[in-house]
Amino acid sequence: MSWWKSLLPKRASDAQMNSELRFHLDELTDENIAAGMPPDEARRRAILEFGGQEKFKEEVRDVYRVRILDASVVNLKSAFRFIRKSPTFSITVILTLALAIGANSAVFSAIDTILLKPLPFPDADQLMRVDQHNPKNPRPFHLVAPVRLEDWNRLNSTFQALTGYYAEDISESTGPLPEKVTRAWVSPRFFQVWEVTPALGREFTADEETLNGPAAVLVSDRFWRRRFNADPNIVGKNLRLDGHLTPIVGVMPPSFLFPNREADLWCPIPAGLSYGEARENNWFTVIGRLKPGVTVAQARANLATVQAQLGRQFPKTDAELSVGIEPLKETTIADSRRSLWLLFGSVTLLLFIACTNIVALLLSRSAQRQHEISVRFSLGAPRGTLIAQLLTETFLLALIGSGLGLFLAAAASDIFRSLAAQLPRVEEIHLDARIVLYSLACSVVVTLLSGLVPAVRGTRRSLSASLAQSSRSQVSGRNPFQWLLVGVQVALAVTLLAGAGLLLRSFQQLGRVARGFDSSHILSFQLSMNYGETGDMKKLRQFTDRVLETLRATPGVESAAISVGAPGVPFKYETELKLLEGRSESEPKLIAENRLVSASYFATMRIPLLAGEVCRETDGPPTVVVNRAFADAYFRGQPMLGHHVQSIDMGYSGAADIVGISGDARESGLDHAPVPTAYWCAPFAEPGTYFLVRTHNAPMTMAETIRHQLHDIEPMRSAYDFAPLEQHFSDALSENRLRTILLTFFAATALSLACIGLYGTLSYNVNLRRREVGLRLALGALRGQIVKQFLWQGLAVCILGCLAGFALAAASSRVLAGLLYGVSPSDVPTLSGVILLVLVVAAAASLLPAIRASRVDPMQVLRDE
Amino acid sequence: MPTEKSDLLQGTLDMLILKIVALGPVHGYGISLRIRQISKEVLQVQQGSLYPALHRLEKRGWLEAEWGASDKGRQAKFYELSAKGRKQLESEESNWNRLASAVANILQTAQ
Repeated sequence: MSWWKSLLPKRASDAQMNSELRFHLDELTDENIAAGMPPDEARRRAILEFGGQEKFKEEVRDVYRVRILDASVVNLKSAFRFIRKSPTFSITVILTLALAIGANSAVFSAIDTILLKPLPFPDADQLMRVDQHNPKNPRPFHLVAPVRLEDWNRLNSTFQALTGYYAEDISESTGPLPEKVTRAWVSPRFFQVWEVTPALGREFTADEETLNGPAAVLVSDRFWRRRFNADPNIVGKNLRLDGHLTPIVGVMPPSFLFPNREADLWCPIPAGLSYGEARENNWFTVIGRLKPGVTVAQARANLATVQAQLGRQFPKTDAELSVGIEPLKETTIADSRRSLWLLFGSVTLLLFIACTNIVALLLSRSAQRQHEISVRFSLGAPRGTLIAQLLTETFLLALIGSGLGLFLAAAASDIFRSLAAQLPRVEEIHLDARIVLYSLACSVVVTLLSGLVPAVRGTRRSLSASLAQSSRSQVSGRNPFQWLLVGVQVALAVTLLAGAGLLLRSFQQLGRVARGFDSSHILSFQLSMNYGETGDMKKLRQFTDRVLETLRATPGVESAAISVGAPGVPFKYETELKLLEGRSESEPKLIAENRLVSASYFATMRIPLLAGEVCRETDGPPTVVVNRAFADAYFRGQPMLGHHVQSIDMGYSGAADIVGISGDARESGLDHAPVPTAYWCAPFAEPGTYFLVRTHNAPMTMAETIRHQLHDIEPMRSAYDFAPLEQHFSDALSENRLRTILLTFFAATALSLACIGLYGTLSYNVNLRRREVGLRLALGALRGQIVKQFLWQGLAVCILGCLAGFALAAASSRVLAGLLYGVSPSDVPTLSGVILLVLVVAAAASLLPAIRASRVDPMQVLRDE
Repeated sequence: MPTEKSDLLQGTLDMLILKIVALGPVHGYGISLRIRQISKEVLQVQQGSLYPALHRLEKRGWLEAEWGASDKGRQAKFYELSAKGRKQLESEESNWNRLASAVANILQTAQ
């Protein structure tokens, strides 16, 4: 027999069994024939003698049947009995696990949806974001000129198709009031790239995608439900988009949320638009679908060749450009990856703490069950059976716990959405079979982690025998293993607390940071516009002035301004500036963040002017105010007012006169130190421009008044996104807030678990040593000494745990490094605060059992003896 | 039927099977035949107990089985003692001898 066969379960196949029995019958028949019977009779007698074949075939089969099922049922029954018999213990374990497994599954469901699952499009791993890079700019625009997109699409050999889009917020005015809608203009091949077809109606026709072809619009599922109550006959109805009647040709499926979840409408943008022909007009975001089997590296090499060819053909505009290709999923997930893994790491630590806690609980439990276990041993139960039974009990508890935890996981989507609306793909999070399986797997891991050690230790034969006999005379309550568990819990909790403390501190620092502007009492909003309006600057200027004047004339308004990009919210518009007065090659290039603002911006935001004057809204040459960081970085005290700069990349700026220097403001995010910035006086609103209004009272109280005023002068536009400016900061920091709040919650839970563990272990210890304490009290020990002794026992373990926790926290500080603001990972006040908190809570948890120990009545104890 | 037949004592069937298989590879029919012959027709093994017992012993690894041709050329399953089975047989034999002599002692003393 080959050796490997012995590894497989031995099993007699029915065919083999039959032929074995047939052989026996044949032999018996032969025997009978030899005894002189006729063959028929001989056979009949043999069968008779042999007996009921089926019955003992069944018996043979029984030999091979493993009795796992039966044994499990028995174990399960006894586990249920055990849970009913000790409700407090069971409920503690179940709730602990429900919280730990539930929180873990909740975070996992976010990770699964956001990081692991592909984007909700067919063959989504073929989708790539394609950018153009200009090495002259450190952080250039990634937008692409439409004509270049067409070149790429025509010349490449690795993409099935490339398409582009841009989005703007416009007004839809078929209703009684104009409504703001988000429209994406999409280039041809849009549907080919996404491989998505309208759920209702049809795609754009070739006619609609040519210049001067018929208008057409596809609407989102959300918009269809909101505005048309899911009317199945919507196709053919008209929308009035910025005044143009546009027929609806279809409805997209609900899962299609691109470019973002706000997108309401998609309109075709014909190739060959006159303003799309210029190679320096970059305004498309480009998405491509790779051919099957093509790698990202191949696509990069291919497009690099294509772009090099274009560079030779159009040296002026294309020579310096390179092409960047990233999987669309990566650019969608962006920075949330670190936050999510950080949360998952901490919630897994929490699960470990819960497991450790349960190990301690089960150990003290199995000490109480020594009697039961030794009885079962003496009745001949094999150790394996007992271990299986104890594990079944733990598994049942874990299973119930993870079942309850699923409720928490089911709420994950809502929790994440309410804490961090900006998190990508957050609307895709929901409870599914994968999460249920994951919870199930968690409960198996928990069973093994927390059940195995107590089960194995609890069923040690020698131990159980000796304990059964010696429990009456036992004095010492030393059980280093249980104290080790408490120490581990404290250490893990300290690690989490240190992380949470640092995040909280940096959040607090962010709130305190000097912003350089005064954002209180600022109301911000937007007006629907389309990019087509930017063609007529004179009209745009009139429109902007009219709105700002109306706002200033409104009672309760102190001042009003516009800014492209809200101050304090990350917004990149960085370019290189050229100094017309000339600059030597050795000096650093002038790289600056650009802000297009009205002259009233500085007064409205209360950004101080340090030198010179505020920029002028003239029709003549534009003027520029630079901030102090700009002056310090590039001019170092040398005179610069009156110099002229020109933006290399910005479309419509001519040479501008530097007229003033302003204070530094945290324009590009509260957590970003001010960078060199140029404020261009541009009294022209464009899509995405923020109107900023300084109010006398609470900002939102003015929202309705302003809305009415604007409706009077601009009836065709919708005003939307009314919010105090502070609200935008908070939204911009929402991922930061998400991880801070959740980590703080996990850390608090961890601390409470560790304290429950400490309390439980100390109480158990006190119980074991009641007799000793009673004797010592009878011999004259002071109650204070007893309290001190137990208190110290608890605290000593905590101090060791703290030390270990700090070592862990120090080792894992790298994880936090990029997520902190204004505090170092070894911030002394935070870490000493954590120690203090842990020690105080630990002291409180130890005090109760210690006091109970000192209240032992010596007479009572001695009588019990 | 020449003599009265006795039922086998619980647990002794395994030992008898092991003992007979120890003499050399043999099939199920051969085992029942030999038990009958050697015990001079006193012990008769029911096929209903024989085959479950054989499979049980095989599963425990005391017996190894292989298919082969019988004297008459029929396909039969031959059982053989494994090293583990040999050990088991030794311990069961010595147990049995102790028990038997103890019982015998009691019977003699009590007379």
